[in-house]
Amino acid sequence: MATDEFHVKLYRKFQTFFQEAEKKRRWNPVEDIPWSDINPDAPENLALCAETFLGVESYLPDYIRGGLEAVRASSVAQRWFTANWGYEELKHSMALTEYLVRSGKRTEEQMFDFQAKLMEEEWERPFDTGRKMSIYGMFQEMATFVIYLRHEKLALEHSDKALATVYRLNARDEIAHARFYEDVTRVYLEEDRDGTVADLAHVAKRFAMPGVGLVPDYDKRIEVMRGEGKMDRDIFLKKVYFPLLKRLDVNRRELVAAAAAERKAAKAERDAAE
Amino acid sequence: MERTQLLEMFKAKASEVAERDFSALEEASVIADMGVDSLAMLEVVGEMERELDVQIPDDNLVGIETVSQLLDVVEKRVASA
Repeated sequence: MATDEFHVKLYRKFQTFFQEAEKKRRWNPVEDIPWSDINPDAPENLALCAETFLGVESYLPDYIRGGLEAVRASSVAQRWFTANWGYEELKHSMALTEYLVRSGKRTEEQMFDFQAKLMEEEWERPFDTGRKMSIYGMFQEMATFVIYLRHEKLALEHSDKALATVYRLNARDEIAHARFYEDVTRVYLEEDRDGTVADLAHVAKRFAMPGVGLVPDYDKRIEVMRGEGKMDRDIFLKKVYFPLLKRLDVNRRELVAAAAAERKAAKAERDAAE
Repeated sequence: MERTQLLEMFKAKASEVAERDFSALEEASVIADMGVDSLAMLEVVGEMERELDVQIPDDNLVGIETVSQLLDVVEKRVASA
C-alpha cells in the first residue's frame, strides 16, 4: 500500500509538469507549423517515415485505455497525467496527418483508409501494474524522443522545415513525458527500491516499442526508419537505457541480481507445477 | 582465465538468461543473429561480471557485434582487475 507521502510527492511532480506544459509547451498542430515550408519534392521515404510515426501514434485510444486501467488505483497524479498525456499525444497524430495531406504525399481518403486499417488491430498494455507501466512509459517516451530528433535532422537535410517542426514539437512533448515518468519511477524507488528495481529489470527485459506487430508492414517500415534516421541497433542502449539508469542512480548489477531472482522464482514455480 | 573458458561461460550464461541452448555458439557468431535483444545481452554480460567479479563500463558495451568482440572486452577487464 502506497503511503500518503508517496501520493503527495507524485502530486507535486504532476503540478510542476502541468504548469510547465501550460506555460511553455502548448502548441497548435494547425497554426504553429510553417506549412508553407513543406518541401513537396522530398523523397517518398520521408513521407513513409512520417506515416509510420503516425501509425504508432494512432493507437492512442488503446494507450489511453490501457494506461488509465493500469494507473487507476495508483495515484491521482498518474490518472491526471494520463488524461493530459492523451491530449498532447493526439496533436502528434494530427500534425503528422496534416503534413502527409498538405505535402501531397497522401490524400485525405488514404489517411482515413490507413486509420481504419490500423484499428483492425488492438494494442494491449504489456504490463499489469501502474509501476511497471510507468517504467515502460519512461523507456518508451525517451526512445520516441530520440527517434523524433533523428528524423527532425533528416527532414532538415531534405529542406522540409514544416516536417522538421512537427518532429521538433512532438519530440519536445515526448521528452517532457519521459521526464515525468522518470520522476514517478524515482518516487517509486524511494518508496520501495527492491520492488522497483525488480520491475525495472522485468520491463527492460521485455521492452518493445508499441507499434510492433500492429502497424501494417511494421518490419519493413522500421528498416526504412532506421536507415533514413541513421540509427544503429545500440541507439537504445546509448541514448535511452544507460542514461536513464544513471539518472535514476540504479546500476546494472542491481538489475542483473533482480533478473536472476525473477528467473529463479519462475523456475521454482515451474518445478512446483510439474 | 583462458579464452575458451570465457566462451564456455558466455554460452552457459546466455543459455540460462534466454532459456535456450547456445552450446553451438562460436566466437565468430554474430550477436544479433542469436535472437537475443541488446537488453537481454546486457543481462548475460552482467552475469559474467558477477561471476568474474569485474565491472565493465557501460561505454565498452556498445557497438559490439560478435561474441568475439564481447569476449575481448571481458578478457581485457579481467586482465586489468
